[in-house]
Amino acid sequence: MSLVLDILIATVPLLVIFPTLFAFTTWLERKALARIQNRVGPDKVGVPLTRYGGRFSLFGLGQPMADGIKMLFKENIVPRDADRLFHLLAPILALIPAMLVLCFLPLEFPWTDSLKPVQAFLLDGAVIFFFAITGLNTLAVFMAGWASRNKYSLLGGMRAIAQMVSYEIPLVLSAVVVVMMVGDLNAKEIADFQTGGKWIVGNWFLFTPWGLAAFVIFFIASLAETNRSPFDLPEAESELVAGYFTEYSGFKFALFFLGEYIAMFAISGLAVTLFLGGGAGPGLDAAPWLSVVWFIAKIFVLIGVMIWLRGTLPRLRVDQLMGFAWKFLLPLSILNILVAGFAWHATQQDSKTITVVTWVISLAVLYMTAKGLNQLNRAKVRPRNYRYAE
Amino acid sequence: MTEQIAFWILSAVAVLGALVAVRKRNLVHGVFALMLFFAALSGLFLLLLAEFIAAVQILVYIGAVGILLLFAIMLTERVTGDDDRRITSRGWFCGVVVAVAVFFVLLLPPIQQWPAPETVPTPEPSVEKLGQRLMNPYVVTLEVLALLLTAALIGAVTAAQGKRLAKGEEPPE
Repeated sequence: MSLVLDILIATVPLLVIFPTLFAFTTWLERKALARIQNRVGPDKVGVPLTRYGGRFSLFGLGQPMADGIKMLFKENIVPRDADRLFHLLAPILALIPAMLVLCFLPLEFPWTDSLKPVQAFLLDGAVIFFFAITGLNTLAVFMAGWASRNKYSLLGGMRAIAQMVSYEIPLVLSAVVVVMMVGDLNAKEIADFQTGGKWIVGNWFLFTPWGLAAFVIFFIASLAETNRSPFDLPEAESELVAGYFTEYSGFKFALFFLGEYIAMFAISGLAVTLFLGGGAGPGLDAAPWLSVVWFIAKIFVLIGVMIWLRGTLPRLRVDQLMGFAWKFLLPLSILNILVAGFAWHATQQDSKTITVVTWVISLAVLYMTAKGLNQLNRAKVRPRNYRYAE
Repeated sequence: MTEQIAFWILSAVAVLGALVAVRKRNLVHGVFALMLFFAALSGLFLLLLAEFIAAVQILVYIGAVGILLLFAIMLTERVTGDDDRRITSRGWFCGVVVAVAVFFVLLLPPIQQWPAPETVPTPEPSVEKLGQRLMNPYVVTLEVLALLLTAALIGAVTAAQGKRLAKGEEPPE
């Protein structure tokens, strides 16, 4: 019986907290995008779910709930020629991996005895498991695209596979740097490694040259992994109607939506664990439960940047997308591993001068490489060769 | 007890997935059934405390091999994947013989140790130990494997490039 209770304690918070945050994030995203585009955004649905919400419109915070109810009552339309089983399974498969990887985040809730981390899996190889399971998202997208029997859906699915497979490599390689420095694949260990230090942020990997480069690569690749703008080619509205979920309506569509946002939380959570010190923050000695708050606050900083990018950047072209992954991110992340190895050996002695010199060299090497790759990848402008019908 | 239940569920799913993968005419369905089999296998590895192998099973077999199969189907067959052709083979008897033989080879180690020892030494699998082993006694093997994979990669690129054209030569239509 206690086993069942343990499982419930470990999983229910994740199943409650993150979907709630998802609802809030949809509202936040709509509001933020509206501000960027000089609109107001949803502001009518208030607390008693009425239009104009009476006196309590609360900036339209009731909107996600209204959206959810609308989704539940909408008709579920399946195309006649669609593969009914796969059409049904795809949204479920999109949600499961996203929910599953939340277990690997080092979240410490107060109600477990003596702050035992509530990880359903306390695995040594949490980071590698995380990458393995996030990769399954690709399958759901492909499954949806294929099962709908719609050209746009299929194109979206194919694009998704190509994109996700390409960007997974820089994603994993940039995380390798942190694993090398800590010497452990356990997410908890990695987070603990970064606590302490000057002004709390002293040991964060973000504030080292190799960590900064890895974080930028990781963040860009995670945008592509979660199909966020500017890498939202699989669902490009202007080209593919809605991409792989063109033929989805009602609650199945809502599940896709939910899965996408949960995946965003999960991958931002991993970025927080790897580079931003996990739950580290001020006031932890007095109130250890603050670590969860700090963790989620850091996730929301990253989500905020994602929303900001969505509001400001145009979508990439397919060839630009592929070229960016293979010709820029991949070489840079491999070089970053070499730099990190060099830095690890150089900073073994506890000497200030050596550390400073190492930092300067690493920064210079990384900067020069980024510049050089940029130079090499510059599109060669040739005189255009017009061909008319002959 | 819970391990027992998990074992039986995972085994049932694995067998079912393998059967469907072989029997399904629709290729895409077959690939997904194969992935289900891989996933169940990964769960079985997890039950054996071999978490690294479990992760690699998902990463390599579902994430890479499965996706590769899907790509191959998309590029070669009609994209819909619902081709009803079936490979008919008359050599099914040989197949059964080979399958039974492989099965017995796999059974050999437990048969040799029969009857099972009373106390099984508890394994201490950890990713750390695996990494140290790979770096210390088996580093040459690892490097050779890496070289082999690089050679395969370069070979694939060369094969994909096709014949290099001389200057001024028109590409074949």
